[in-house]
Amino acid sequence: MLTVCHLYPDLLNLYGDRGNVLAFMRRCSWRGLPVQVREVNLGGAVEFAEYDFLFIGGGSDREQALMAEDLKNRVDALRMAVDNGLVVLAICGGYQLLGRYYRTSQGREIPGLGLLDFYTEAGDKRLIGNVVLEAELAGKKTKLVGFENHGGKTFINGHKPLGSVLYGHGNNGQDGREGARYKNVFCSYLHGPLLPRNPILTDYLITLALERKGYPSKLNALDDELENIANQAMVDRLLG
Amino acid sequence: MNLRLIIGMVAAKLAMYLSKLSGRGRGSSLPGMVALRICPDLLKHYQGQPRKGVIMTTGTNGKTTTSNMLADILEQDGYRVVTNREGANLITGVATAFIKASTLTARLNCDYAVLEVDEAAFPVVTRWIKPSRVMVTNFFRDQLDRYGELDTTVGKVLDALNKLPGEVKLILNADDPLVARLARETGKVTIYYGVRPDADFSNTAAFSREAKFCPFCGSALVYNIYIYGQLGDFKCPQCGFARMRPDIEAVDVISDEAGTKATIYDNSSSGRSVWSLYIPVQGIYNIYNGLAAFTTALSLGILPEKAVLCLTTYTPATGRMESFRYGNKQVTLTLVKNPTGFNQALTVLLAQKGRQDIMIAINDNDADGRDISWLWDVDFEVLAQYPEQFNRFICSGQRAEEMALRLKYAGVPTILLATEKDYRRAINAALQGEGVAVGMMATYTALWPVEKILGQKAERVSYHANRMSSVS
Repeated sequence: MLTVCHLYPDLLNLYGDRGNVLAFMRRCSWRGLPVQVREVNLGGAVEFAEYDFLFIGGGSDREQALMAEDLKNRVDALRMAVDNGLVVLAICGGYQLLGRYYRTSQGREIPGLGLLDFYTEAGDKRLIGNVVLEAELAGKKTKLVGFENHGGKTFINGHKPLGSVLYGHGNNGQDGREGARYKNVFCSYLHGPLLPRNPILTDYLITLALERKGYPSKLNALDDELENIANQAMVDRLLG
Repeated sequence: MNLRLIIGMVAAKLAMYLSKLSGRGRGSSLPGMVALRICPDLLKHYQGQPRKGVIMTTGTNGKTTTSNMLADILEQDGYRVVTNREGANLITGVATAFIKASTLTARLNCDYAVLEVDEAAFPVVTRWIKPSRVMVTNFFRDQLDRYGELDTTVGKVLDALNKLPGEVKLILNADDPLVARLARETGKVTIYYGVRPDADFSNTAAFSREAKFCPFCGSALVYNIYIYGQLGDFKCPQCGFARMRPDIEAVDVISDEAGTKATIYDNSSSGRSVWSLYIPVQGIYNIYNGLAAFTTALSLGILPEKAVLCLTTYTPATGRMESFRYGNKQVTLTLVKNPTGFNQALTVLLAQKGRQDIMIAINDNDADGRDISWLWDVDFEVLAQYPEQFNRFICSGQRAEEMALRLKYAGVPTILLATEKDYRRAINAALQGEGVAVGMMATYTALWPVEKILGQKAERVSYHANRMSSVS
């Protein structure tokens, strides 16, 4: 049984990001892999060690501040789980939160959880639009698609990015990189949502979660015709 | 004599003429765009001209319907009304409505201006034109890439309302905490309308509710009853902010294929008045639109019986639950633009009797919102619970594949899914399906082409005064 933690679904329900949890669940169930999801809200009890996949989305500023406050009390447990290989997907605001700090346009530094060594600073204009990345997952090159909409510019220092930008802005519109990776943690600005539109990434996360549990991790193939057509249509449209 | 104004007006009238001549576009924004480029303070010249005042409608959903309903009521009562009926609700659309109705020197001869104004454009439009009444329908998340987050939108409307003269009256939805808060925060005279939260509203579509927190103190709001979205009987346990008893309140709301019915109470008057209201469009949200128009009409001195009668013959604007007939099949066309509106459209589909063919056209041009991830906040999962109600789902528009993908992950069997990017073929497939009814939904820029093709193939159903509402 894989157990998914959907962190703060009540708070962080912007941009259709719950589709990520849905895709993870569906692609397990379609293969007959038992899977369950637990929604954890503000102040609710959570043992990160019990989970196989953790999803953190983004919200509006006020909601993100509430989330940051709550997570600070749990940061040690979360760090331990991450070091033990917990599979994490953090999108947009959730991504920014895992870094060291967010520097506002007034120069104030809002501390993050510091799980990863990167930082974000307020940009002068929001980076909005469709994105295509080239990512390497399990040694295979693949194209990921999504939609970015972020005011912050993130610089990931020594971390590996999720992918290199073929179209769009990425982390900061400057270095051609998008997202960040550390152990089994995957961070990205891409909405869309990311997982339904990129089944290869979803399956990779499922594989990592299974491996970590010591389960056989070879996944049965699914009929992904629709997913592949949708993904390819966006790639063709943006890259011509 | 203001030369810029005259040149701007001439250019705008010319643009209007040319777009009519070419038959392209509906000319509902272009003339205003042309005139504003030449004469940026154009709207200033219209301020104060409507003899009895300007009534604006803003909010996320229902603006076009509400504003058109009020314009209908006022026109049927014999007033001359300037209005932007086609939903062109940015400053360019408002300017076009005025230009169409005025002389080359921007002189108007009208009693009222009834204007639908986009939430984001509201601060700009009200800089030039001061309304005497403002109706606010509701606030839902809408096109994040264009409007930004919901808090920002509400904040902009609030700021603009605070800048209006003290005598402006607000007509507010009592059931939406994000709207009701405007009364306290602006201190303006407010008339509330709402639907009585009876126990038979059970709403399951809870994924994308806004306003979970009190706007004043930040505590989690508590609800007795949800009507839809975050509309309902809300209360803040901390500071006491709560649903006000509306001045005009609907009870016993019934919505079916024939339309929507309710009994309306005037709670404000000393002798309690009751009317029965019938609107020939489906969906509980249309009762809200009708209530807002009715409440505003009453506040302008229109006889309630006349307002109710006028609403029984309301003809929806393009894609606001428009009805067509194709052979024996009823076909409805609905504009979808955000999760709450789409959820409402799904509720209407599920209330239909008999198997339906569904056509959904999703575009991602600027006017639709380039980010379509909001489709994942729509509760398509409810469709998968009733697969026997649907024959086929045909997905069309620029993002046809992604729409089909969304339905697949909602649990709709893939055998029921088809993609057809070409509108005409998609519409044909839906009309000729084996279902007994057809539901079509389209985003903004897909709506016009779909409506045009549908209008050629199917007969438009219009409503006339043969369905009189009883007046009690």
